[in-house]
Amino acid sequence: MSHMTNPLATPEQLFQRRSFGALPLELQDAIFFAAQCLTQAAGILLQLPQSITAQANVLLARYWLVEPLMAHEFSDVSAAAMYLTAKLSASPRSPRDVCNVYAYLVSPASTFFHPLHQPLAAAAAENNPPKYCLSESQYQSFHARLLAIEARVFYALSFNTHVALPHPLAVTYLQALDFLNMPKETIAKRALAYLNAAVLSPQMLYCTSQPNALAVAAIYNAARDVGAKMPECEWWEVFDVDREELGFLVVGMRSIEGWGRKIRGEEEPIKGWKGKGMLTRRMVQEELRRRGIEEVGEEGDDVEADMARRLDERMAELEGGS
Amino acid sequence: MASKLKSRWADDEEDAALEAQLKREREEKKRLKAEKARKLEAEKQARDAATAAATQQHPDSTNGPPAKRRKLSPDREAPRTAGASAESIPVPKLLRFEGGAFDRCRSVENYDKLNDIEEGAYGWVSRARELATGKVVALKRLKIDPKDRGGLPVTGLREIQILKDCDHRNVVKLQEVVVGEDTDRIENIFLVLEFVEHDLKSILEDMPEPFLASEIKTLLQQLAAGVAYLHDNWILHRDLKTSNLLLNNRGQLKIADFGMARYVGDPPPKLTQLVVTLWYRSPELLLGAARYTSAIDMWSVGCIFGELLTREPLLQGRNEVDQLTKIFELCGVPTEDSWPSFRRLPNARGLRLPPKSSSSSSGSLVRARFPLLTSAGVSLLNGLLALDPERRPSARDMLAHDYFRQDPKPKQEAMFPTFPSKAGQERRRRRETPNAPARGQAPAGLGVVDFSGIFSGREREERGGGFSLRMV
Repeated sequence: MSHMTNPLATPEQLFQRRSFGALPLELQDAIFFAAQCLTQAAGILLQLPQSITAQANVLLARYWLVEPLMAHEFSDVSAAAMYLTAKLSASPRSPRDVCNVYAYLVSPASTFFHPLHQPLAAAAAENNPPKYCLSESQYQSFHARLLAIEARVFYALSFNTHVALPHPLAVTYLQALDFLNMPKETIAKRALAYLNAAVLSPQMLYCTSQPNALAVAAIYNAARDVGAKMPECEWWEVFDVDREELGFLVVGMRSIEGWGRKIRGEEEPIKGWKGKGMLTRRMVQEELRRRGIEEVGEEGDDVEADMARRLDERMAELEGGS
Repeated sequence: MASKLKSRWADDEEDAALEAQLKREREEKKRLKAEKARKLEAEKQARDAATAAATQQHPDSTNGPPAKRRKLSPDREAPRTAGASAESIPVPKLLRFEGGAFDRCRSVENYDKLNDIEEGAYGWVSRARELATGKVVALKRLKIDPKDRGGLPVTGLREIQILKDCDHRNVVKLQEVVVGEDTDRIENIFLVLEFVEHDLKSILEDMPEPFLASEIKTLLQQLAAGVAYLHDNWILHRDLKTSNLLLNNRGQLKIADFGMARYVGDPPPKLTQLVVTLWYRSPELLLGAARYTSAIDMWSVGCIFGELLTREPLLQGRNEVDQLTKIFELCGVPTEDSWPSFRRLPNARGLRLPPKSSSSSSGSLVRARFPLLTSAGVSLLNGLLALDPERRPSARDMLAHDYFRQDPKPKQEAMFPTFPSKAGQERRRRRETPNAPARGQAPAGLGVVDFSGIFSGREREERGGGFSLRMV
């Protein structure tokens, strides 16, 4: 049954996100969203199938339910999750590849979270390899951070890297439902799109619901979108999903697009993020200072983060020296 | 968005209706149950009073079945349009999937080390006691090379991943993974495995008398059950050998050491040929097959079968070429007939085999080598040691083999003899078998090899029914 089940977050883990001393929730959500989008982008550039990238997304979400957000640079954590997931899969990627892809994605040269309206000619003129190519010492320090965080992620998850994705289940369920009399691609594509978007949701749907529920909710939403006629009975019960959970997931999945557009658009949770690419720890710290809740970043999140940072630096030195 | 929200509220109203309906149903059920109990009680009393008369006096409705039938259709107003389905199954029974939770590793300080068991190529193992429970476990430390630019070793991670997914009585259990006290740098990683007293290799080395036929059957049956479980779950072990098979004092065999194991798919992916300890390595691996199947594990099972019979590893080659020679000597030289596709394997091109006409070279010598084995046993061993991987039985086929049905029947595990445990004492085990190949080694091509002379001495052997003779 392992392909039907995932370990889920405990209530304490979810509650602790709101606890005293944690980052303001909208900042947490923005960080989560940005890092998950970055992971997806990296998965594409690393030419990994979504079945692997999405696993990295889920592991990243679990990791941040155990370890403090501010302990490491967000893009580094995303890179480590991506690296270790690929390593355990049938298509491993070398640290060098991962490093190159992330260096590019966080650089201003990439289109990731940068405005797209730049004319192409100007973009080409600005195509400046040094901007996204790392020097050898930068690479060494990235590599050291990657391996340190990799071990950290394994530690935080008790080495349990099992992720059951709902995608294959959704297809199986759709087959059972005879694709609701719609063209197969139309409805399956839509359902998978919902599942892929749900990976980005700061509600962490993959850490709170089992794959069967996610699959059913995605099918429900897809059917609504393409105007398919669903069975009139409570068909979700056939797939062991109750009405309440379905309702919650349906709303959760539907809200992601609007919410994502909003925080990327008019309502900036972090001032000056727009068009600046990947969210960094520095941006978040500046935002906290601006809001006058400096202590949170320093004290709440915490000695451990500081130590980890110092450790990174020391390791970088060591690696650079050798 | 607003319209969606509205629809959600509408759902909630329905939810409330459903809830109320369920409550009503529950009450109705309760009431019916109480009524039924009362009636049964009355019936019983009546029966006590006058058995024959009572049954006639009571109307039909007091009997069990009608009451039950009535319970199924309690009268209540149909709550919704979709009443038909709601009425037939009032309370849905939904499966709940439990996947557990996730949290940080515990510290190795929760365990108290007792003694070292062994040190292998892959890490060291020691016996330890869990402080909280007093339970004895085996702690296996992952060997981490700090110079490895790839981070944590993928073999160790795969072992953890696979063992975490496995739950079978013939596969060693992984309780948890713990780390050293200093969690700033994760460099000490320990697998907490169930402690099993013996490994089959040490037992075979030390036992004065070989296993009885019935004992061998028990062991093989358990091995096949474990391997079948792994293969059913798309896991190839890729390093089956007697030193990786553990045996506890209750006669239970457990497959251990998944450092070479991995998940595979169908069609089989391209995999490294550098797997399986040489003596247990199948001919297709030796001939360089890049795509192989679970049949490589079955070959190893065959080698283990032979080893259980004689207490000696069956095919002890000094190197790849010698190993192939030993295999061909025992199982015969492959022909287009016995292994149709073998010529297409990368390392088969340079092979020079004895001419087909020499009849002595084609057959298998298994019968002669194991004169005391029953014919069912020989047919199973011959099957497992078939050169053509396609012809080897699967682990499931093996479990269904006549060998396990015939007398002597497999011995009950509880009746198994016990042995003094080496692992439990302060003694280090020495490794005499070669180890599984290390990752990253270049697969060695065999080059041009001349096997045409390997059977030159064979004509002098005489084969008989029960024993073999060498004529001098």
